[in-house]
Amino acid sequence: MAQITELPFLEHLATRFNIPAPEYLTAEAGGSEIRNALSRWGGRALVKPDVLSGRRGKAGAIREVRDHVEAQRELKHELGREVNGNLVRTTYLVQYIPSEMEVYSAITYDSRYMGPSLTVSLVGGMDIEEVAPEKKRTIPIDVYKGLGAYQASEVLADLGCPKGVVSLLSRSLVDFWDMFTSTGMRTCEVNPWRITPEGKPYACDFKAVFDEANFKFKNLGFKLPEYPANVTLFEEEMAAWNASSHRGQAHAAELQGSCVLPILFGGGASTIVTETLMQFGGDPIILSDFGGNPPYERMYGTAKICFDHLLGKAKLLLILGGKANNTLIDVTFKAIADALQNYVDENGPIHKPVIVGRGGPRLTQGLLTMRDTLDSLGVPYVIFGPDSPVTQVAEYAAKFAKTWQEIGGAQ
Amino acid sequence: MRAKKLSDLLRAGDRVAVSNITGREASTVSVTSQKYCGNIIGGWALGKEGQFLEVAGGEPIPVFPTVEELIKKLPKKRQPNKIMVYSPPQAVYAEVKEVVEHCKETVETIFVVTEHVSVEVTAKIAQMCGQAHIDVVGCNSLGMINTYDRMRVGAVGSDNPDESFRPGSVAIISNSGNMVNTMASYLLSAGLGTTYGISTGKDLLILMPLKDLLDLARKDERTRMVVAYIEPGGLYEKEAVEMLVKTKYPKPIIAYITGAILEKFELSLGHAGAVVEGKETTAPAKMKLFDDYFGIEPFDPNKKYEKTDELAQALNRGIRITSLHHLPEAAALIWDVLEMERDFKPSKPLTLNPWFVDYKGHGKQLPSNLLLHKGTIPEPYASQIKQLSQAVGASVARRDMRNASHASSNDGITPRLYGYPLDEEMKKGSFVESLLLAWTGEQLRDFEVELMEKCLIAGLSNGPGTISAQGAKLSASAGNAPNTAMIATLACLGQVHGGNGQQAVEYLLRVFQGIEIEDPYNPNHDVNLRELVKKEAVRFAKVRSAAKEAGVDYDRIPCLGHPVFRNDPVNYDPRERVIAAYLEEKGLCNVFLDFYHMLAHELKELGIARNVWAVNVDGAIATVVLGNFWRALQEKHLTVRRVCDIAFLVFALGRAAGAAGEYLDHNDYGLPMDMRIPARDCIALTRSRERRRTPREQAAETSAAG
Repeated sequence: MAQITELPFLEHLATRFNIPAPEYLTAEAGGSEIRNALSRWGGRALVKPDVLSGRRGKAGAIREVRDHVEAQRELKHELGREVNGNLVRTTYLVQYIPSEMEVYSAITYDSRYMGPSLTVSLVGGMDIEEVAPEKKRTIPIDVYKGLGAYQASEVLADLGCPKGVVSLLSRSLVDFWDMFTSTGMRTCEVNPWRITPEGKPYACDFKAVFDEANFKFKNLGFKLPEYPANVTLFEEEMAAWNASSHRGQAHAAELQGSCVLPILFGGGASTIVTETLMQFGGDPIILSDFGGNPPYERMYGTAKICFDHLLGKAKLLLILGGKANNTLIDVTFKAIADALQNYVDENGPIHKPVIVGRGGPRLTQGLLTMRDTLDSLGVPYVIFGPDSPVTQVAEYAAKFAKTWQEIGGAQ
Repeated sequence: MRAKKLSDLLRAGDRVAVSNITGREASTVSVTSQKYCGNIIGGWALGKEGQFLEVAGGEPIPVFPTVEELIKKLPKKRQPNKIMVYSPPQAVYAEVKEVVEHCKETVETIFVVTEHVSVEVTAKIAQMCGQAHIDVVGCNSLGMINTYDRMRVGAVGSDNPDESFRPGSVAIISNSGNMVNTMASYLLSAGLGTTYGISTGKDLLILMPLKDLLDLARKDERTRMVVAYIEPGGLYEKEAVEMLVKTKYPKPIIAYITGAILEKFELSLGHAGAVVEGKETTAPAKMKLFDDYFGIEPFDPNKKYEKTDELAQALNRGIRITSLHHLPEAAALIWDVLEMERDFKPSKPLTLNPWFVDYKGHGKQLPSNLLLHKGTIPEPYASQIKQLSQAVGASVARRDMRNASHASSNDGITPRLYGYPLDEEMKKGSFVESLLLAWTGEQLRDFEVELMEKCLIAGLSNGPGTISAQGAKLSASAGNAPNTAMIATLACLGQVHGGNGQQAVEYLLRVFQGIEIEDPYNPNHDVNLRELVKKEAVRFAKVRSAAKEAGVDYDRIPCLGHPVFRNDPVNYDPRERVIAAYLEEKGLCNVFLDFYHMLAHELKELGIARNVWAVNVDGAIATVVLGNFWRALQEKHLTVRRVCDIAFLVFALGRAAGAAGEYLDHNDYGLPMDMRIPARDCIALTRSRERRRTPREQAAETSAAG
């Protein structure tokens, strides 16, 4: 998921879109630079980790510092931490904004309006889901006209925002929208805006998710930072492979399982099959969706990545999908069979059962190709057609895999 | 929303136009749809205009450059009222905008099939089409099917919609396109057919949401129940359930909500749960929502349901299922408790039915509940499998080969033939062996390589008068370079000269179809050649006599007979004799060559031939090629096409090499243009004719003379 946090916002977006934000220094700043900044900022600053902390936020990981020695120590100290299980990319020092009021704002695409919406609350700094309905407002934004300052002022006024704050904050909210729509974001949040006693708003924390399908995101003008995300080598390789073409999906995420390697087709089938595997102890290694009628070379590459990374630890290979509407089964199965053959050529024989279930165009040729390959590889198999329900096949695969382990398989 | 009932989204008489119709997926799906229901009036694809998508047994689909042109060119009666958008994601906005601009008057619904459309574009489409009073289904929808009217848009129902969609009482509304098909086929086992199947798409914004579709289903008289497949994300179900409660929805619903376990892993399932929309977008929240509405626990297949008023009341609203294969049982429960009549007799219950099983000797270790036996493969698959199993040769998956090759590779260090290092091949030192490797990737036995070498030698020359040698000589005479002379020879090969071996392989494969031969070179094979020859000779005699009676041409047996070796009672091509002698010397046979000789004798016996025809060199080559690659064909390593081509290539390669000899000779000793035939030796087959003067020319001449 293409997302960013406060630091890239401060570095690349805040100035570009005239969004008032605190001054900052990155972890590379030297002692004198920090000392000067602190004196400029009134002697108070915050050390923050740059981390993808998800919904739970990074509260508790923020340190207030008052001198440059402490600041430098905390910048180094924070770097080695994990926040909610996530590794910190870097740390930064940010100006402390004195405030008596905090405001929440978010723009996202909203299913109720079939378009973008703005959510505002004067109870900033909190998880918005915890805020009482009467204390937050969501209004639709015209996707063509955008957010007007008048609309923003009205929402703020409706929430009881002091008059002195409304004008400046509503202008900033319009800039906030401008950034959202100009960069192809899917959702973004400033939480909180800290309002100074003079009524000036500062965007004091930020996160956004970009819509990777939006061409504006592709022309963002800066490279997204690489967060030390908890992705595995397999996930990284698969994500790059998925991004390399839009012909057919190559979606996969590791589930930390160690039993069934599921090569699944179609978003719907993938989800229900994976859930069924979990339910019946199949302990799936990945969640995968390789549907969307991939051509041969695409499917071969996808299967190869899966096998190279994961087949070694799998106890059973499951190749399963519902009744495809347009994915060609002969092409996809030939590609998987070839990738499996290639794996055996390179790594030696496998002693893992293979369970297959599929329906769709050119099915019989696909199933026969798969059967012939499995026969030549000498692996046990059970192959189902579309008359066997996918969830029942998944249940069978899960139970089979467990039993296979218990009886010691082909050992 | 413009539609007032489900049929407004799709019905008989709809006229569908398809964007980017020449695209890979759009063209395949459109042709299938046209065969199924013939509702596509045209499509557009810039730069591809003027083409027609051919539809076997159906009306071809014309392609226009733009939707504007399509509207201009088609008569009023054929103006589209439904649009399928199959364009790439970056073109979707412009396509929809064009449709709105040019077809606002006629278009009622746009189905956007394209995946990966940005949410901003989706929102813009929603607004633009809302203002234009056009309904949108999608994006990322698979389309829709109207079972009673036998109409579909998109790929719902795959290449055979009738297999899953039989007219009945259930409307299927699904976030997953694939599940529309799957759930329809599951319902058949409960004796329930479908009214409609709709794939809503599962992007962040679903432009035809559940609430609207349920509302339309309420007004559809044939729909007596709705099945909904739901994924996490969005507040669509919350709004839908509010509507159900408010309207006291009169039809039962079976809801299947997926994604709960996976949400724990914070994995996106197509929908991105929007933070602002809150916890109600999650799968557990949606489950609770429906359970509360239904007022009954989710369906439990092990529970014995007592038919009570309370149960009937709950089932009138519906029930949630926790596993997809519970769908037929849950549907049957509703139907029985509410005393509704099934649409048709239930088919056999859903169960595991393996088509192929092989535990590779481990079956005994498995407990009985896991030990499955091969089931009955339903039609039409059983027939297809039988047919495919009998066919010889590999069936390959096609791919983009622009920068890919199986035949060769070079990692910058070692050039390889089918993975075998070229330098090792050089060290082994057999050109023919390496050549066969390069052509097939197969490694042959020594005697097979030897036989192939003899075939290549046989092809070198049959004297300077052969048309292939003449090609080289003509080229030399004209002053061409050596490679051009070889090309000239190759250009003189064709179906009649050189290509007969290719036809012989095809012929032999037809004759030997279904016959099991483990090794065609084993003299102890158990093929009853006598019977096979008799059968074939009788067949040929019949075809020949019928054709002669009708005065039409007929297919000859390829490679039997020779223009030179033809006058003895029993004729032989001496080059074929070398092959036969080598086989004898090695204590081998070639079952195909033996067949040919026996057939030549049989044809003489039947009076079809006046003497025993020779099996010519093309025939000998064909039998060696087929003998050598018989096993590869049976094991489906090679395609039939490749083996046929190799029969031709063996001759062509030998002859092109031989022609190089003719070129070298002719180039040294020949005179320039010596191959030219003097004009006096050429025979004119038409009388000389002067051009006649026209009456006007004659008049002009007369007047000039006057």
